Amino acid sequence: MATETAESPPASPGAGKGDAAHKRGISLRGDDGVLTRVLALREGSIIVVTLVVAIYFALNTSSFFTSANFKTLLPYFAPFAILGAGEVFVMILGEIDLSIGGTYLLAPYLFYKLSATVGLPLVPAVIVALIACMAVGLINGFFTAIVGISSFVVTLGMLFALEGLTLVISHGQQVETPGAQVHATTREATHVVNGVHIHLPEQVNHISTFAKIFGAGIYSELIWALVIVIVLQVVLTFTRWGLHTVAVGSNKLGAGEAGVHVKLVMIRNFVLCATAGGLVGILEAVRSASVQADTAGANEILFYGISAAVIGGTLLAGGSGTVVGALIGALFLGILKDGLVLQGVNANYLLLYLGLAIILAMTINVYVQRVRRGNH
Amino acid sequence: MPDAASSEPEVVQPTSASDDVLRVEHISKRFGPVTALRDVSLHLRKGEVLGLLGDNGTGKSTLIKILSGFQKQDGGEMFLHGEPYMPKGVDDARSKGIDTVYQDLALIDELSVYHNLFLRRELVHKPLPFLANREMKLQARKALDEIGINIPRIDVAVARLSGGQRQAIAVARTVNGDADIILLDEPLAAMGAKEGSMILDLVARLKAEGKVSIVMILHNYVHVLQACDRVSMIQEGVIALDKPTAETSVEELTDIVVNEYRRAREEVHAADAAQ
Repeated sequence: MATETAESPPASPGAGKGDAAHKRGISLRGDDGVLTRVLALREGSIIVVTLVVAIYFALNTSSFFTSANFKTLLPYFAPFAILGAGEVFVMILGEIDLSIGGTYLLAPYLFYKLSATVGLPLVPAVIVALIACMAVGLINGFFTAIVGISSFVVTLGMLFALEGLTLVISHGQQVETPGAQVHATTREATHVVNGVHIHLPEQVNHISTFAKIFGAGIYSELIWALVIVIVLQVVLTFTRWGLHTVAVGSNKLGAGEAGVHVKLVMIRNFVLCATAGGLVGILEAVRSASVQADTAGANEILFYGISAAVIGGTLLAGGSGTVVGALIGALFLGILKDGLVLQGVNANYLLLYLGLAIILAMTINVYVQRVRRGNH
Repeated sequence: MPDAASSEPEVVQPTSASDDVLRVEHISKRFGPVTALRDVSLHLRKGEVLGLLGDNGTGKSTLIKILSGFQKQDGGEMFLHGEPYMPKGVDDARSKGIDTVYQDLALIDELSVYHNLFLRRELVHKPLPFLANREMKLQARKALDEIGINIPRIDVAVARLSGGQRQAIAVARTVNGDADIILLDEPLAAMGAKEGSMILDLVARLKAEGKVSIVMILHNYVHVLQACDRVSMIQEGVIALDKPTAETSVEELTDIVVNEYRRAREEVHAADAAQ
């Protein structure tokens, strides 16, 4: 996305991004250095802060900058990037969707019921479960856009209702995720040791292709996250849907008078967001091979998703935000949590340090933004 | 002035002509207990600039919103080019050639000038759904040049522009949208003399081209006489005056309003005295 960068000279067809950056009083000269260019991005300051945090942990722990740790890090941030990406579309409207915690919890159980009880094949079961999440988004959108209740209240109610519904249909029981079981087989492996052929039985784990695609593959969640973030950022920046989302979030009345279908835009974005919640629920269930009715965990994940969007530069007040920012916000949260664990922080202190670190990093973020503006 | 009926202004029914592009007959509109429009009739000729006058709260903006399809009237009929005109919404009205520049401008601060100009009419790279930004910029620049609006950079967010520039862009957007009837709701509100002249010049240029007909809500009588062909004054939800601007004056327009104010005050005094 070349037009993502805001440093394009006035004559070139830069997208809306550059305009927004310009609005904040940034000089967009072509001869700026790399740092200035990064800072000119809306996500610029959080990129810098995330890099600083990563460098800190790389210097202070021996294992942070390893491929093994990278794999450990993935589940810490990929799900939140997807949730944050959906949330960005709702938050740009100036609304919020708390119900993603509910669809996150409910979707895997629906998937389980459809597959294990109803007997649908795996992929159709996933699709039907996601359609149910879309219906949740439709209801959120209906009450927010048409009835006119605050989205905070509507989606809070929906969050509790869906979590309750999940407890009712699951009886609070943990179940195995369909299609995610690991089958182990043994085979005879031949090794050559000191010129002697040794035959040893070896255990080989088999994961189904379905599971590999839907979360259990090492990079599957990362690929889902990257694809979703890229697609949604393109939708936001380069399509009428995105343009109308910004229009409604910036001036709802004005957008309506200009002929934008305000209610349709709002409902559509709520549907998108709720579906993202359900998808992450299914990915996580397949990854861990179990479906759990853990409402507290769902609420925590909901807050990480919203935090990723907010940390990534999306305004709670609406009108402005980026999907790529949510990805970086999620990465920031993931690195922070993972790094603190690697540093050997006492488990009891982890949340305390995490909370303080978020506030500290966001304070730095504000200062970086000021430097950026001061740059000129 | 007839004394018996003096508590309410006289209802003027403008005579319509065969070349009217827009006719409005006996429109009424209530919001709960409040009657915004009681009985309003208007007509607009092709290429004409009609000034709509009236104090705050007399129903001018309501009338504009009904004409533009944003609200529905309770009673009365409208005719566009002689055909019954019943807009189902803003889009429908726009597709029939009636477009509005609202008092609150309907501009999106976060979006660039050219995105604002094309809002709801965005060009895309068909069959792909991607915005044709380069094409929109070119067309936006051309459209602004054509109607003589000088905006140095059209890829900046409109939040950075002055009130006059914003108003000009809002006007340009309606002209750009192939509207043949443009409704301007207080185009000179909160604007300095220089910026106001810029908008009046723009209206004059559009009038000289003769392609569009304009209904314009104004407060300043001098502006009305300067920019409009005809003036309609709304008082208490009815048209109290309808004259070509050549046949009226600032004094006459002022007198009507002042008389109404006096009459209202006398009623209050009379009511007080009766107690």
